[in-house]
Amino acid sequence: MLRRLAVLLRRLRGRFGRAAQDRELVEEMAWHQKRLARDLEAQGLPPDDARHAARRKFGNTTRLREEVFDMWQLGSFDLLVQDVRYGLRTLRRSPGFTLVAVLILALGIGSTTAIFSAVETLLLRPLPFLEPERLMRVSLTTQPRFGNPASDDMIWSWPKARTFQAAQGSYQGLALYTDDRMTINTGEAVRENGEAVSAGYLATLGVRPSLGGDFPRDVDAAPNPTPVALISDELWKRDYNADPGVLGKTIDVDRKIYTIIGVMPAGFRGLSGNANLWVPILNRQPWVFDAQFDHSFVMVARLKPGVTPAQAITEAKLLGSRVDQAHLDRDGGPGGRMGATAMLLDGTRVDPRVRRSVLVLLGAVTFVLLIACANIANLFLVRARARQREIGVRLAMGAARRRVIRQLMTESVLLAALGGTAGVLLAWWGVKVLSALNPSQALGAQRLGGLGAVNLTEIGLDLPALGFAAGVTIVTGLLFGILPALKATGLSLTASLKEGSPQTGSGAARRGGAFLVVTEVALAVVLLAGAGLMIRSLANRMQVDSGMDPDRVLTLRLALPPGQTARDSLPGFYDQLLQRLAGVPGVTSVALGNCPPLSGGCNGTMIEFRDRPPVASGTTPDVGVHWVTPGWFSTLAVPITKGRAFTAADRLGTPKVVLVSATAARRFWPNEDAVGHLVAVGQGGFGDTATVVGIVGDVRFGILDSVPGAEVYLPYYQSPRQSMIVFLKTTGDPTGVIGGVRAAIKEVSAGLPAYDVRSMQSRVADASAQARFSAILLGLFACMALILASLGIYGVISFVVAQRTREIGIRVALGAVRQDVLGLIVRQGLVLVTAGSAIGVLAALLATRVLGTLLYEVTPGDLGTYVSIVALIVVAALVASWIPARRATRIHPMEALRTE
Amino acid sequence: MDYPLASKPRSELLPGTLDMLILRTLSVGSMHGYGIAQHIQRLSKDVIQVEEGSLYPALQRMKLKGWLSAAWKKTPNNQRARFYTITAEGRRQLGERISAFDQALLAITRVMRPS
Repeated sequence: MLRRLAVLLRRLRGRFGRAAQDRELVEEMAWHQKRLARDLEAQGLPPDDARHAARRKFGNTTRLREEVFDMWQLGSFDLLVQDVRYGLRTLRRSPGFTLVAVLILALGIGSTTAIFSAVETLLLRPLPFLEPERLMRVSLTTQPRFGNPASDDMIWSWPKARTFQAAQGSYQGLALYTDDRMTINTGEAVRENGEAVSAGYLATLGVRPSLGGDFPRDVDAAPNPTPVALISDELWKRDYNADPGVLGKTIDVDRKIYTIIGVMPAGFRGLSGNANLWVPILNRQPWVFDAQFDHSFVMVARLKPGVTPAQAITEAKLLGSRVDQAHLDRDGGPGGRMGATAMLLDGTRVDPRVRRSVLVLLGAVTFVLLIACANIANLFLVRARARQREIGVRLAMGAARRRVIRQLMTESVLLAALGGTAGVLLAWWGVKVLSALNPSQALGAQRLGGLGAVNLTEIGLDLPALGFAAGVTIVTGLLFGILPALKATGLSLTASLKEGSPQTGSGAARRGGAFLVVTEVALAVVLLAGAGLMIRSLANRMQVDSGMDPDRVLTLRLALPPGQTARDSLPGFYDQLLQRLAGVPGVTSVALGNCPPLSGGCNGTMIEFRDRPPVASGTTPDVGVHWVTPGWFSTLAVPITKGRAFTAADRLGTPKVVLVSATAARRFWPNEDAVGHLVAVGQGGFGDTATVVGIVGDVRFGILDSVPGAEVYLPYYQSPRQSMIVFLKTTGDPTGVIGGVRAAIKEVSAGLPAYDVRSMQSRVADASAQARFSAILLGLFACMALILASLGIYGVISFVVAQRTREIGIRVALGAVRQDVLGLIVRQGLVLVTAGSAIGVLAALLATRVLGTLLYEVTPGDLGTYVSIVALIVVAALVASWIPARRATRIHPMEALRTE
Repeated sequence: MDYPLASKPRSELLPGTLDMLILRTLSVGSMHGYGIAQHIQRLSKDVIQVEEGSLYPALQRMKLKGWLSAAWKKTPNNQRARFYTITAEGRRQLGERISAFDQALLAITRVMRPS
């Protein structure tokens, strides 16, 4: 093998110095002859005789030169060059054909490459950390409980994580983190995405600051350690002009002064994927130090050398019960409600729904590519007929069939290469569009699972994507080239050389074409079915009643720096804020809430019933918990169906009251009136007793697909919080009041940044963004498939018309009328589309099962969808075959017979 | 699609013998084409006449295979000639050829002169 390579290399070198080599050989042989002649002369021959004898002895030097020349010839390479030149000439000779084929291929290869880039970025690319395959995510688990499925990715409380850390033996590093939004005050208050982390975070990920150092170990030792912070390269460049003297400077984060001890390498944005700032958890939330049930942190860990993931998982499961035992439930019962488990961090990189969507899209786009291949194979078949004579002549002249096939294949690969090049340009554009769609707008909108660090902003036409494009190009070239090449060269010589025998090989070519078209139609039907189902799901999702009216509502977030305002003075702040905001022109009502509807998930906790006997530990039901001010329900048009809403009288110090959602009322008090019952909610200081004073309509807080849950509303004024979302109902365009609203907030509290300022409508749109993303792309691919399949039908029917010109002429001469001819031809198209649809529908019934959880309120076998897509493709086929059929009706019998 | 590298028998010699003779000749020292032909002719007492029409293709072929290297040098009487030198790979080939040749010779002898 290596030896062959060496020979090839020497040949290659020889190939480019071939002329010089030949000259050398000539010189060498001339010298040899001269020496020979001289020696013969020395033996006594006359000079002329000696010269002639020498030349005779040498023989034909030209033939020798040729032999040596051939020896150094790069066999395959030189033939390839010939073939490529010939192929290019052929393609140039039919620019129309070439253009159409290149366009079709560009679409196919381009969209496949773009989607592959997404797959590569989201599913394949290694996580941007040291030896990412050694990183695990350790989680708490829960059993399936009232209304909620089992879960194996629960986050940790600080004390539980410490218990686990002390007991484990699988990891060399272990760390906690949580995304955290922070306000940096550098003259003006700026909201910044950050992460609150434990000391070992960076070491566990295997990342070192590019400037300065890591967190000291003792930031985990006790609450409120000396405040230190690390900043991202981006923040360093933006706010500090990349000044190396930044180390030791201080930064005001939420009114706490941190010393900057390091700058992270460029591109590192933490596991959340968007952090600019890292600070110790015990600075941000000192109270978590002994809050056993404050579950807020994700645990990542790096395996010790030699420990397998499976061993670590076994250990985590074992340690789960130890953690439970060490942290007994609130009601004093034994633990056991939670366990623990571990999984590869890479396994959590994207939400399963995202994984499924991109894989479905990759499948869909592959179908488009296959259809494109079939289409071009079809074009080639038709063209091969036109070239039958040329190929026949070449075969007759003694060209080997292999050689001709090779030449034809070179042509198709060449065409594929042109298409591939154009396709890469298209993919480049497509990838830009994909990256612009992301992250918060499309795939990440719905608080999907997965690591923020894995997102489409990192997508690009990188090496794997380009390699993929190149591979796809070659494969498609071979794929669409092989059938026509075999068909074109497999004919009998005499038949093809006989001019004007139109039936020659046409049967085979037509059968080949028909086969391709049936395949195309079947593939298109599968794609249309998938797209149809997704679009119906999207439509169903858009119809979902969220339980509130997002129209003309503006939302924005506010977060008071922790510890700045005493809890008891917060209601006063709310009063002031709401009063000012209500006075902004264009605002008709204003309220506070803590979590917007359709955001993907809000707070949740257990509910206990104080007027019933206690239930067994571990069976207490869960509820969603929401904080609102009295005006929240009217601002979002959520009806109060029973009892009363909150009033200004429900304040700190008055008896605690709650409202429950209709679902909660139905679930917990199925046969009685919920109003007046006593409950305890494990959050916001409502763990003692509160009275249910009213029932409100169901609002969907989770994703669109989920049914409304049991929700409990607490009054902000009885359970004050530092962070809030302001909801403002406006008279006109909600974004029109933003200026006034900001000014009003500044008047109330100068250093309080309003962020995430958006209309409620855009939040609702986010909720269906992921579904829309899949449905639109799938729809687009289905359209391409439909157009390509129609083109295929058109091509084959045109071919048939050309083939049957003579027959049609005779029919017309014998009295066939226009309708007869039209019917004759269109029927052929219908046969193809019927066969293709039948196969396609069967395949689709199987294939659309992969859509599974992506569908919403529509089954994979939805009859309506199938009827409409079959109707669609039949209409497309009718149009595609009607055009050539009409041409057939214009055939004049005399002309037709004269084509002989 | 490679062109055959095996030598085509053009002389009366057994196939491959010319290559072996050339390699053996060059194993003494580097030599130009004319010298190689002369050397073989002399040692074989004029029995083997190396045809130039076989010699040069054979030299090129072995150069291509990497058994020989070639360089232009001055002859003792100050003429420019292309000198061929055997490479390590060539020596290895020669070794193989010689043992194969010995075996063949032995076999032929056994057939021709049965004891």
